[in-house]
Amino acid sequence: MHKTMVMLAVAAIALVSGCSNIERSRNLANPEVSAKTLAAQVCSNCHGLDGNSTSPAFPRLAGQQVDYIVSQLNNFRDHQRIDPPGYQYMWGLSRHLSDEQIAGLADYYSKQTVRRDPTESLDAKQIATGKSIFENGLPEEAVIACSACHGPTGQGMAAFPRLALQHSDYLIKQLDIFQNTQGRPGTPMETVTHPLTGPDKAAVAAYLQAFPD
Amino acid sequence: MNMIWIMVRIGNGSILGPFNMWTRRKLGEFGTSIRMGVIQMQSIILAVRAMRRYLLTFLVALVPLIMALLPQAAQALPTFARQTGQNCVACHTGGQFPELTPYGRLFKMTGYTIGERTMPLSVMGVASYASVANTSKSDTADSGVSTSNSGSDFYKNGEPILATGSLFVAGKVTDNIGAFVQITHDPYAVAPNGSISGHTVADNMDIRFADRLIDEKRDLIYGVSLNNSPSVSDPWNTAAAWMQYVPVPSPGSHQFVDGTAPYPSFGTGGNIVGLTAYAYLDKTYYGELGFYGTADGAFRIFREGIDDSQITRLQGYNPYWRFAYTRDWGAHNLMIGTTGMLAKILDAATDPTDSGNFSQVRNTGIDAQYQYILDPHTFTAQLAYMQQVTNYSANSLAGTSPYFQANGTDPVAALSPSDTLNTLRLKLAYTYLAKYGGSVSLFDTSGTTSTNQQTSGYDSNGQITSQDPLGTGITSARISGNLLGTPGISGSTLEAFYLPLQNLRLGAQYTAYSKFNGASSNYDGLGRNASDNNTLFLYAWFAF
Repeated sequence: MHKTMVMLAVAAIALVSGCSNIERSRNLANPEVSAKTLAAQVCSNCHGLDGNSTSPAFPRLAGQQVDYIVSQLNNFRDHQRIDPPGYQYMWGLSRHLSDEQIAGLADYYSKQTVRRDPTESLDAKQIATGKSIFENGLPEEAVIACSACHGPTGQGMAAFPRLALQHSDYLIKQLDIFQNTQGRPGTPMETVTHPLTGPDKAAVAAYLQAFPD
Repeated sequence: MNMIWIMVRIGNGSILGPFNMWTRRKLGEFGTSIRMGVIQMQSIILAVRAMRRYLLTFLVALVPLIMALLPQAAQALPTFARQTGQNCVACHTGGQFPELTPYGRLFKMTGYTIGERTMPLSVMGVASYASVANTSKSDTADSGVSTSNSGSDFYKNGEPILATGSLFVAGKVTDNIGAFVQITHDPYAVAPNGSISGHTVADNMDIRFADRLIDEKRDLIYGVSLNNSPSVSDPWNTAAAWMQYVPVPSPGSHQFVDGTAPYPSFGTGGNIVGLTAYAYLDKTYYGELGFYGTADGAFRIFREGIDDSQITRLQGYNPYWRFAYTRDWGAHNLMIGTTGMLAKILDAATDPTDSGNFSQVRNTGIDAQYQYILDPHTFTAQLAYMQQVTNYSANSLAGTSPYFQANGTDPVAALSPSDTLNTLRLKLAYTYLAKYGGSVSLFDTSGTTSTNQQTSGYDSNGQITSQDPLGTGITSARISGNLLGTPGISGSTLEAFYLPLQNLRLGAQYTAYSKFNGASSNYDGLGRNASDNNTLFLYAWFAF
């Protein structure tokens, strides 16, 4: 029995360690591993294979702007983003990514088709309020329309991220970070979000998650 | 034959994890038990009072320890965190190790290979303080027994101790191979001769190869694990090897803390060797099959530190299986699974070349876990149920119980050829900001009543005695004794904890027993009640 088990174990280890596995590597410090491989073997654990994450704890990356993904991965790698989810999850994963890998990841996710979360549970009145904020802002509070920078269809533009169909819970969390912390510096969002109330944030996030075709 | 039976019975102790004394002690499985417990307000009030009384002492004892550790703790992280560069919360739900998040499970299933190779060493320790509600002897009727000296029955009760320490050698080896190897020191281990001393042994060990085939059509993670305990390779925390809250101190130092309360477990216990193959398809279907055997020869390392006379010896290949269905939606995830094992286990201290010394143990279990994880909240509900059927070895059944009925002349019933044990554990846990948390757990064990499980009873004088003053040669176990021969422990554990740092957890548990060894009162025949075992347990658990 012992001999058999030893042989089985040794055979299993020999079989696998002899094989180069660069195509299916999860090594985050090897610049030879392609961005597509990293996306599939590592990033997909939270963000989904095609960038459509299941949990709203993690942003939907499908269809995201290339420049935005590059800037955020750089911010993680350079420790510029100090919001807790940023440093808890992403500082380490990004620490040894090469510029080429970052560019490749951005390219990969930008080309994925964005999918829609279920919207049955969302409140129609809340969505209407969110639509108004997205399209018109809150003029009396000097909040500019989200669409001014993020585009009329919420598709984003360059360093301004795509928002349409993003998880509402994720958006609310980001708005809170912009509004209440210095966790994500270098954007105008701290000023923009300053007057927003809790219901305002929830409404615009609900609208963006349910973004109409 | 009586002598043979007594030896077997000592080896078996109770029918939970019966055949490896060291493993049983390590798991804290004293025993036996019964029906579903409910949380008693009285117990909660007692807990609050007891905590108030002892908290200051505990904190005073802890301060120097924490201060000594802080510089390292603030900078250094356990090996997996170094490997991925991530915070503990990425893999551990709300920071409450060892419970895994969906990502943590995938990290494990992909062979601990995400990230980069780093220095593969980590250290973990637990400092604790435990106080049992009643430490007076339950056998005061016997001559020469002091009521004030709690002696070895409650060694270190009411004293802060460094309860356990582990060294981990863990992490990525190649793109496909990784390991989780834990070596644990117990300062208060019970040696084969009954003395208590420091002892270091092989603990959880899982060395695996894994690969992942993932594209638009399918996502298949598969691998093999060489490990030393059934279910240690399992990624869900309702698995027998992982549901326990905290690495509790050995019963050698503290009895009746959380680890003594029953957890669903496998009859073999750990420190054996197994090779399992597993696959996880489309993040939905998980299956694992494997075989376990005695950790001898080249596999001695999997039970290093345990005396040859105390290891679990198995006959041939002993199959283990596990299947689970999982689903993720939004911030929620669910697992419903089943597990089991068939094992032929050598009775303790018997001849392995005699096949009549092997008992057959069949474990079948179901378990389920639900998690909601969305910062700042995490909520976890766990259910685990295990049935264990033991068909006793031919040789052990040739003996008879040493005990008599109350009249001291009529023997008790003949040994039962088989026993069934059902263990249920429910747990609800919540964390906030990965800093504050609490849980409530209910446990219940029930099963066959049989003389096999009696460890306390009447002698030939119709007396129940632990000291045998009249020299009948028949003694009863105090504190852990089982007069009814009924496995039955019911009760609940409440816990509150605080994580000032991601790798330091301070906690307080209170375990209340409504039934112990089949009875709420006088369960050992020497006057001890189940509630006498209620225990306050304070701990500081750190890793760096």
